[in-house]
Amino acid sequence: MIAWAVAGVAVVVAAVAVLALVAERRRGVAVAGAQVADEQAHVVPTPAVPVLDIASGGDEELGDVADGALLLRLRMAVDRLEHGVVIWDGQSEIYRNRAAVALAEARDGHVLVAAALEELLAEAASGRHVRRAVELFGPPAESFVVVASPISPGGGDGAIAVVEDRSLQRRTETVRRDFVANISHELKTPIGALGLLAETLRDEPDHEIVERLASRMILEADRLSRTVDDLLELSRIEFGDDAEFGSVAVLAVVAEAEGRIGSAAEQAGIDLRLDVPHDVAVDGDQRQLVSAVFNLLDNAVKYSAPGSEVLVEAVDDPDDGVVRLYVSDQGVGVPRRDLDRIFERFYRVDRARSRETGGTGLGLAIVRHVASNHGGDIQVESTEGVGSTFTLILPRAEGRALGRSQESEGVVSDGVGRADTPEGELGDEWIEQESEDEALASRRVAEVEP
Amino acid sequence: MDSLRSEFQEELENLRSDLIRLGAMVSETIGRGTAALLDRDLHAAQLLIDGDDVIDDFCLGLEERCCQLLALQAPIAGDLRFVLTTLRLISELERSADLMVNVCKASRRIYDVEFGPQLRGLIEQMGVEAGFLIRAAIDSYVDADTSLAAALDDIDDRLDELQVNYVQAIFTRHSEEHLGLQGAVQLAMIGRYYERIGDHAVNIGERVMYMVTGWLPEHSGSARHRLRGIGAEDVKPADLIEDLLAGTGDGDGPTGTGEGDGGQEGESS
Repeated sequence: MIAWAVAGVAVVVAAVAVLALVAERRRGVAVAGAQVADEQAHVVPTPAVPVLDIASGGDEELGDVADGALLLRLRMAVDRLEHGVVIWDGQSEIYRNRAAVALAEARDGHVLVAAALEELLAEAASGRHVRRAVELFGPPAESFVVVASPISPGGGDGAIAVVEDRSLQRRTETVRRDFVANISHELKTPIGALGLLAETLRDEPDHEIVERLASRMILEADRLSRTVDDLLELSRIEFGDDAEFGSVAVLAVVAEAEGRIGSAAEQAGIDLRLDVPHDVAVDGDQRQLVSAVFNLLDNAVKYSAPGSEVLVEAVDDPDDGVVRLYVSDQGVGVPRRDLDRIFERFYRVDRARSRETGGTGLGLAIVRHVASNHGGDIQVESTEGVGSTFTLILPRAEGRALGRSQESEGVVSDGVGRADTPEGELGDEWIEQESEDEALASRRVAEVEP
Repeated sequence: MDSLRSEFQEELENLRSDLIRLGAMVSETIGRGTAALLDRDLHAAQLLIDGDDVIDDFCLGLEERCCQLLALQAPIAGDLRFVLTTLRLISELERSADLMVNVCKASRRIYDVEFGPQLRGLIEQMGVEAGFLIRAAIDSYVDADTSLAAALDDIDDRLDELQVNYVQAIFTRHSEEHLGLQGAVQLAMIGRYYERIGDHAVNIGERVMYMVTGWLPEHSGSARHRLRGIGAEDVKPADLIEDLLAGTGDGDGPTGTGEGDGGQEGESS
């Protein structure tokens, strides 16, 4: 609905411009006082039909001059719109704003949007309102909505078309929908199983079967309790109430996380290798960081075959004022199209597999929140069947950064990492919504893909 | 005459932008087809198979317009080579889209086969590489960029290498008894389809070189062949040089080895 309203506003603004353009064209008056060369460039040259000449001024009457100034403003205003706007008089284009020019001049899927736009214009010129969604596979996947309307009710005066990029909304909708579906799945599956097992247990005389069912119940209860634990952990990290920020040695964090995962790694036959210099420190909360690193290691171990290697590496980058912590595995990897979604809560690449590995689906969401709490970032590169590398980017510990910054021409540690946070990339209006639905980090991550 | 010429120029421009559009359609098809294969998405596969008719129709219309230009405007020199090249590119792109239809059809035949992460990863990479090659080929055409056009052959080596690894991975998976013979054969064919798309991109590169320079990379081979045959056939070296200078290999040269219009219908169904 919002999208319609936005499109509506664009149509209204553009329609005013159209009326001005059409009326002016009928009178055959050239617009006065316009010396803006790059504005002229957006008038599509159509040799067959005389094109509006806005650059030539001259001896028009005073009223026309005022009209001309208004027209110029309208034109500039429509050019500023993020929406593509094209105005057509039935035979040729009268006007195409900047965004629409970019669409038509593209070489990727955007030209298909431009093509849809032309088709719809032709339909709208015959007096019908038409709307079409264009989904581009990409990558990156994008979705557009093209709306075209006749300028006057019966047609005849041509048509106007507006293109809106709805990729972000689309992604947000998908994330929300999947979240609701996934959380109910994650919580209801073990509860349902417990109920059924208990029901069977009630009338079961055979001791062996009772024992088997009971141990299944314990498994399911464990599973549920892990999910709840992770949910609590996630919301604790989200609120960040008890966080104590300070200089934290990365080696201490990694060692603690390794201690928690060690036996599982050994059991799975996975060789855990650390390459973390003892003097690398970050500015952060030890407990949160351990939680993040543990979750990364947990995933690496879970999705690796026995005998393979997991490498943890920390690199202090004095130029960026950040510390990069790499966790690389030689595991199953993540399909490219899922890469930008794995940090969502309860998102699963493969549900069947997740039951085997016993994960809660919250691990990477926790990692992402920890990264964003620290003004850092989490990135991933992965190839299916080859392995994945997760990179946790954290701000260097303040003291050390200052010490080195003198050598490296005053790099200030604070803010460097933060400039990199996903929220910094979009306008403020998105922050609230995005921290809710997690699309942003995904967007960020999508960019780091090769 | 001036307005006639400008109309002609405009039509050339339209052809160019419509070929870009065709290229965009094909590169979308590659992405969608690969996803349909990896996701076992029969609906997406069906959509793509049906959508190929749209591409075929678009290609026919474009070809028709090229022919009209040739017949009515009798373009010369660079313009002639542009139209001829466009004509050739249409069929290269159309074939590439057909190959993705083949991928989708093969994916339906192996609906119940589990690929395993390694094969999935390789299929995904082949899809990315094939799409990249087609986009680069279109870029070389639009920018008349001979360096890029010439590089396509070497860029395609990456795809060829992926395909070799892919076939090896199929053998491995088959020998581990995770993959039956039927599935293995279908998967191997799928690898071949991607590899062929890369070859089409390389062909486009060669045609773009011809468009810009009037010289096909194949011409050196053609010259060798004819020189060898001089004793048997009665070709005068002078004719040969004239042919080469004209830059448009004639009907019986290696440029027209039946891969053109005839081939495209046969395999598409």
